[in-house]
Amino acid sequence: MRNLLRVLAVTALSVPALIGLAGVAQAQDKFKLGMAVGGNTCCEWMKAQGDVARALAEKNGWDYVELSNNNDPATALKNAQIFVQEGVDAVIQFNGQAASNPAISAVMKQANIPIVTYDIADPGMYFVGIDNLAAGIAGGEGLGKIIKEKWACNPDLVVSAEGAGAGIVNEWRTGGMRTGLKNICPDIPDAKYVSFESQGDAAVGLPAARDLLAAHPEAKNIAVVGLNDGGVLALINAAEQLGRADGVIGWGQDGAFITGDNVNPHLAGSVFYFLEGYAVYAIKDVIGPIAAGNVPPLKADAGDPASKVQPCPVTAEQAKAVPDMNERVKQLLAAPAGTAEYDLFCPNKG
Amino acid sequence: MSLNQAIETAPPAVPLKVRFGGWGTGLMLLAVWLLLIVATGLYRQDFFSQQTVLAVAFTMSIVGVLAIGQGLVAISGGFIDLSQPAGMITASLVAVRLSEAGMPLIVVIIGAILTGMVWGAFNAAIIVFAKLNPVIVTLATNFIGLAVLFLVFQLAEVPLNSDIYHFGRASFLGLPAIFWPMLGLVLVVGFLLPRTKYGRRATAVGGNRAAAKARGISLKATRFAIFMAAGGFVGFAAVLFAATAGPFNPGSGNAMQLNIIAGVILAGISLAGGRGNFWMLLLSVGFLSTIPTSLVFFGLSSDTQSIFQGLILIIAVAIDGYRARKGTP
Amino acid sequence: MTTVAADTTALPPAPHNPWRDVLTGSVASITFTFIAVVAVGWFWVGPKFLSFGNISIMGTFLIVPLIVGAFSGPALLSGVVDLSIGSMVGFSSALFALLISLGWDPASAAAVTLVACLCFGGINAIAIVGFGAEPIAATLGMLVALRGIAWVLLGSQGAIFAFNIDMFNLVSMTIFGLPLFFLLAILLTAIAAVIVTKTRMGRHVQAVGGDDRAAARAGISVKKVRVAALLLSAFGAGLGGIVFAGQLGSAARATGVGLEFQVYAALMIGGYSILRGGVGNPVGGALGLLAVAGVSNILDLKAISPYYVNIIVGLLLLAAVLLDRLRGGDAYE
Repeated sequence: MRNLLRVLAVTALSVPALIGLAGVAQAQDKFKLGMAVGGNTCCEWMKAQGDVARALAEKNGWDYVELSNNNDPATALKNAQIFVQEGVDAVIQFNGQAASNPAISAVMKQANIPIVTYDIADPGMYFVGIDNLAAGIAGGEGLGKIIKEKWACNPDLVVSAEGAGAGIVNEWRTGGMRTGLKNICPDIPDAKYVSFESQGDAAVGLPAARDLLAAHPEAKNIAVVGLNDGGVLALINAAEQLGRADGVIGWGQDGAFITGDNVNPHLAGSVFYFLEGYAVYAIKDVIGPIAAGNVPPLKADAGDPASKVQPCPVTAEQAKAVPDMNERVKQLLAAPAGTAEYDLFCPNKG
Repeated sequence: MSLNQAIETAPPAVPLKVRFGGWGTGLMLLAVWLLLIVATGLYRQDFFSQQTVLAVAFTMSIVGVLAIGQGLVAISGGFIDLSQPAGMITASLVAVRLSEAGMPLIVVIIGAILTGMVWGAFNAAIIVFAKLNPVIVTLATNFIGLAVLFLVFQLAEVPLNSDIYHFGRASFLGLPAIFWPMLGLVLVVGFLLPRTKYGRRATAVGGNRAAAKARGISLKATRFAIFMAAGGFVGFAAVLFAATAGPFNPGSGNAMQLNIIAGVILAGISLAGGRGNFWMLLLSVGFLSTIPTSLVFFGLSSDTQSIFQGLILIIAVAIDGYRARKGTP
Repeated sequence: MTTVAADTTALPPAPHNPWRDVLTGSVASITFTFIAVVAVGWFWVGPKFLSFGNISIMGTFLIVPLIVGAFSGPALLSGVVDLSIGSMVGFSSALFALLISLGWDPASAAAVTLVACLCFGGINAIAIVGFGAEPIAATLGMLVALRGIAWVLLGSQGAIFAFNIDMFNLVSMTIFGLPLFFLLAILLTAIAAVIVTKTRMGRHVQAVGGDDRAAARAGISVKKVRVAALLLSAFGAGLGGIVFAGQLGSAARATGVGLEFQVYAALMIGGYSILRGGVGNPVGGALGLLAVAGVSNILDLKAISPYYVNIIVGLLLLAAVLLDRLRGGDAYE
């Protein structure tokens, strides 16, 4: 009986081992790209990032594997391990929950698989993305010009819609916007700068936005900056509900709510990143060369990126010429290889 | 038959002490709420402004309507409905699609309420026919519902300047337009529940199933009715949500869940069923909605608000447990 | 003990044999579910599904849920559900990462973190056992409060980086081709199963959950058992949080959020009940977690949207409670 059990155990254990060996032996000829999308339900562009990467990979004749990080650091780490197992040749990830990036770096390094990270730098990953701080400053300056013209640089309040969940990106963008505003309007006293936690979501941040406005009942002219358009919209909607929207001018980031028919009139501008089209940059400057056999040097620093995305600050007026996200993606995929959305759509280049 | 008649016409046999206990909950809630208001007002006098009233009233409105639905499920012995986020977002999506199609506000409201009722009926069907506990059923349907919603849409928003958009931004007699229906619904439900045949049935089913069954009350029919009614309130809350929220996504309703359950518990509506006064919801939801506003006046970060709300909930249920234990031999 | 057995109908009287349970007891349905998942994986994904590498991936991801599940089992068995475990994991990882980032050595940081978790578990116990608070409501309050505390600890960046390559290598160490900590978590589950089914202590826990009045009449201290179970559940979540921080090299606002529903859904699929005590077995709970991880892995390897996981988990959960009822569990009317 005991021996029988032993034989069973050994057989049971050896089957997976043999299968593992067989898997390794399987030949790999096609280049295989892995893509981990952010998986945060906050944002339409997170899904679109994967769709664009998939389309471009197919155009290049590569195999493509997509997983979702589910906005969860632990899932992101698990996905990295799955990519290693699936034998991908390179990985792109947007990890909105970047807390596990060091661990993912370690896993990828061990497997010797190059990995591209969007927007949040890690020493072990190719950085492709925007300089969030610069994008913040550009937006802040755009808002500053309006504030200077309309209110002679004398708003009653400057509200910042934060999203602490986005970590350092939040600090760069909202901090950058305050800096940009100060560049144009240096004399706004520090006491006028206040913030609330919007969680980067117009609907979720709404109650906190109303509370903030209630806590400053005398403020009439209110400038709003934020982590993204959604956060800024939370305050605008709150002001509409408290009957104070007439004195509100907001400027967002990411351009999510500045196109289409439903643009709120108090959103004066935003900064397009064209996040859905980042794969163009990653493929042009990192993945493409790797697939062709010349691995580029690792450039992991946001200050000296592997591929730099240009921020495109726009006023609401200028944004009317920009199509909405789905239309942009269509046109992007029809454009010649290597063309970025910035080239196609930014009405306000450099 | 005569026995049946008796319970359906006579006032419920609630001991005086328990009834008084209900008002005790109310007095205590009122006291802590006033204490919070006075303390904040002393710290910063501009707390006493129309803006504060509006901010708190807006927050109360949606939470309050959802709390009625949650309370109905609780008082009838269904414990809690964990599927409210999925139900509300589904109904909100219907409201958005109807208003995008240019439908008048009344059609949008009816559409959302019907959607909520269908969602409630779906939950009830599983609960009643499979005889499964509502907590687990609604946990599962919320998982499933949200997942399906994510596959269906990423972002939705009522059109700018549509009727429903203006409804969400209007005020009436100094309070938000969306506040009045909430107030009316709480008052009406709180009035009808102990005074009508169906209301007493719902409470009786929660208090003692066996006794209720023995009196000839159909458990199945009552459960179905309760969950559909609760779903109707979720559907109406979805109208208020879609009207005010701006762009929302399938996950936007999750944040409210805990606050709603806390409101029901603080109001003294027993999660075990059979006991509770819905009018207390105005006090509990009002109190809970004032906490974050007050904290902003005190200059505390919004993260601290969860600490206060959580601790208050623990203390409240501990007191409730202590009283219930003393009350029973 | 025999009087307890005579008084309860829901509780199997004898100390049950885990192997016989596989066919007849509360673990039966999960055993079949588990086999079904493995079979689907084998035929659909291919033999790769059962390779050591793939099992390691699932295993690494399961370390924390397995630990949390094993330690929260006694609370469920004794009839007090602890909803605060997810937030407790988040709090624990935040505090641990904070201490590490302040230059503490891992051992003292872990000790302080665990003590802090036990204190919060103690508050749960005082409210529930001392004052008679409804467990779901009280621990819901703790869930909210702990999330707030964790977020305050994490500061304005919403994350604390405490990546330590030694700690990462320790947690990802493999032995016989599988992650060491995964095997340890399985061992922990096995020990928990033996304690629950074979020892007097375990039988007391089940008796308290099955019918607390009968247990009290049989001379079991219901209060002591429940206090111990709640402290154990807090301890396990604390341990899970520390392992999480070591594994991810950080703590973040998303850490542990929603984990309580994930774990309890899997435990219920594995035969536990969160609504009545005395039902379930750590082996079943672990199989439940493995089955859900297997489903998620199959979808990953077949490149199917992860949202389908939640649909399947929801359906499995309904099926599991239905089976439990058909086998004699409480019908809800």
